Amino acid sequence: MKKMLAAAVSRVLSRVAQKPASRVLVASCNYSNDAMFEIKKCDLYRLEEGPPVTTVLTREDGLKYYRMMQTIRRMELKADQLYKQKFIRGFCHLCDGQEACCVGLEAGINPTDHVITSYRAHGLCYTRGLSVRSILAELTGRRGGCAKGKGGSMHMYVKNFYGGNGIVGAQGQIAEAFNMAALWKLPCVFICENNLYGMGTAAERAAASTDYYKRGHFIPGLRVDGMDVLCVREATKFAADYCRSEKGPIVMELQTYRYHGHSMSDPGISYRTRQEIQNVRSKSDPIMLLKDRMVNSKLATIEEFKEIDVEVRKEIDDAAHFAITDPEPPLEELGHHIYCDNEPFEVRGSSQWIKFKSLS
Amino acid sequence: MAAFAATAGGLLRLRAAGSEGQWRRLRGAGLLRGLLQPESATGVAAQRRRVAHFTFQPDPEPREYGQTQKMNLFQAITSALDNSLAKDPTAVIFGEDVAFGGVFRCTVGLRDKYGKDRVFNTPLCEQGIVGFGIGIAVTGATAIAEIQFADYIFPAFDQIVNEAAKYRYRSGDLFNCGSLTIRAPWGCVGHGALYHSQSPEAFFAHCPGIKVVVPRSPFQAKGLLLSCIEDKNPCIFFEPKILYRAAVEQVPVEPYNVPLSQAEVIQEGSDVTLVAWGTQVHVIREVAAMAQEKLGVSCEVIDLRTILPWDVDTVCKSVIKTGRLLISHEAPLTGGFASEISSTVQEECFLNLEAPISRVCGYDTPFPHIFEPFYIPDKWKCYDALRKMINY
Repeated sequence: MKKMLAAAVSRVLSRVAQKPASRVLVASCNYSNDAMFEIKKCDLYRLEEGPPVTTVLTREDGLKYYRMMQTIRRMELKADQLYKQKFIRGFCHLCDGQEACCVGLEAGINPTDHVITSYRAHGLCYTRGLSVRSILAELTGRRGGCAKGKGGSMHMYVKNFYGGNGIVGAQGQIAEAFNMAALWKLPCVFICENNLYGMGTAAERAAASTDYYKRGHFIPGLRVDGMDVLCVREATKFAADYCRSEKGPIVMELQTYRYHGHSMSDPGISYRTRQEIQNVRSKSDPIMLLKDRMVNSKLATIEEFKEIDVEVRKEIDDAAHFAITDPEPPLEELGHHIYCDNEPFEVRGSSQWIKFKSLS
Repeated sequence: MAAFAATAGGLLRLRAAGSEGQWRRLRGAGLLRGLLQPESATGVAAQRRRVAHFTFQPDPEPREYGQTQKMNLFQAITSALDNSLAKDPTAVIFGEDVAFGGVFRCTVGLRDKYGKDRVFNTPLCEQGIVGFGIGIAVTGATAIAEIQFADYIFPAFDQIVNEAAKYRYRSGDLFNCGSLTIRAPWGCVGHGALYHSQSPEAFFAHCPGIKVVVPRSPFQAKGLLLSCIEDKNPCIFFEPKILYRAAVEQVPVEPYNVPLSQAEVIQEGSDVTLVAWGTQVHVIREVAAMAQEKLGVSCEVIDLRTILPWDVDTVCKSVIKTGRLLISHEAPLTGGFASEISSTVQEECFLNLEAPISRVCGYDTPFPHIFEPFYIPDKWKCYDALRKMINY
């Protein structure tokens, strides 16, 4: 089936070489506009019903999700490359493998909803509206970065997105947060991206109970297949509706996987086998899953996807070039924005005779 | 009788040295009752201390802010919070037990007046209180969080130091939690022991990004608290708990501001500079009077008011004039804020100094229960240090 399609396409292409290929494809082939897919049922805790088990994906949405996931994937791989070339220093936590989580999340909420996350944040930064340029420039610490180069990997912010946080030792904090949210019925979705490892420790060896969606105790929860962007989307919509109808908070566990180690200093293979990583990559890669689904239901062709790949690659390369060549922020920035003050004051420091001016 | 007169506005502490060995604190109405109580009522061998380690000295009535009313410290705080909630529709007050009025009565009447959406209790989690406050402040509303005692602020230390203080800096001014103010009762109270007497301002002085303020009197407290609430940086406001009832002054009813990061020269002098904050200001005022009377030494008394960022100029100008500096605080000596002041002053005014800078502070021990009278830097210790400095 695929071969026939490809043959037809190349015939058409060779005849009308001038027109952009995408337009030609649409004109000459019959693509469905949308298709219905079955998605995995979510495990429920303290809930009577869960998200639907079927969903409709339009061609437009599908291509959009594919592009976003591919952009995030390439961006993370580029960050890996830049880190190894020592353009990015410090800490860098990559989320390749977990693209379906951020793209699915964004698809299920409104742009006016507020999102806050931990340090594995680059994917969410992108889906919440930051450009790849500003993300990569922030990683390399240049003034074109979203936090003017002062935040780095873990502190990227944009409207309705509060970072990017270096979260440490949060078991008590989470308990307090659950309590307050349930007590005051706050419309809050607590999401756990369960990638099976807490830094270098497998979940079974760190958690008395690995059913994280049940850990909200008095807060209802659902466990979602985090490698399927449609599953994540439907679950997010369900959770968001639950909160919006003033029923209080809800916990969502996304079962996902990360290909890289915890951070760039972690090879990622000392606590898991290469075989395991390879298995996930070949069987449940989120981008591959979406692409196969769309091609098999005739929502799009392989060529279209290849084209998107090429465009994405170019975008990332441009952004990387910007990130490397943009100048660093000026030294005076060191003292800025400590306080919000009407008049600048002098910041004392390591030398008695060199003081920075703090401006806001 | 003399003792009574001396402590007219002050706190009376009776020690029932019976089997319990407990401190009993008699408040305003009970003052007379306590004095008239026969010795036998509390035990034959009872030792009684009737004099607090300081005498509150009220400032003259302020004329420039309109009508004033007699208020003690907690009433001044209530007045400031009332003004804030009235002026700013986004202001909310929360903490443990604030709804019924608070354990020190600082929020009495506010829930009835402004509703349960604006004055509400939180669960018993200091970390959660400050974290929650940071969240509110980030959305732009004014958050006034209460930590029940400054001694309990340590679970929230991470939230204050790692989150609140750095929010603006790490997001490149995109986000901030500047409308957060944290209030906490502070300082020794006569019977507080380890966990109701601490003065943790030095821990927070080490953290750029927040402001730390300590008032000495009701008038100062209301003005400084209003300034903290309106300031666009996260602020910690420590209220000397021993002064809640002991300090009574005429305080304007309308809102007014006392500027932050400005020390106040309460009394001008030419021979020695004395610096303190909170309750200790009243101790050193008395020391200044003693020094004038007994030694003929003219002291300049400075109330630092804001611990971070502190007013280096005022203190240094004063030391340049007098050549001698004595700093006093209840917190332990090592690493206390006096060390920062001392270090900076010797950097800036080295050649003007006539004697080494003197620090009269608490001992390097946890705040004691039974030994409190020996622990605190009272007026005799300060006077002694001052005398040594004069004779250097």
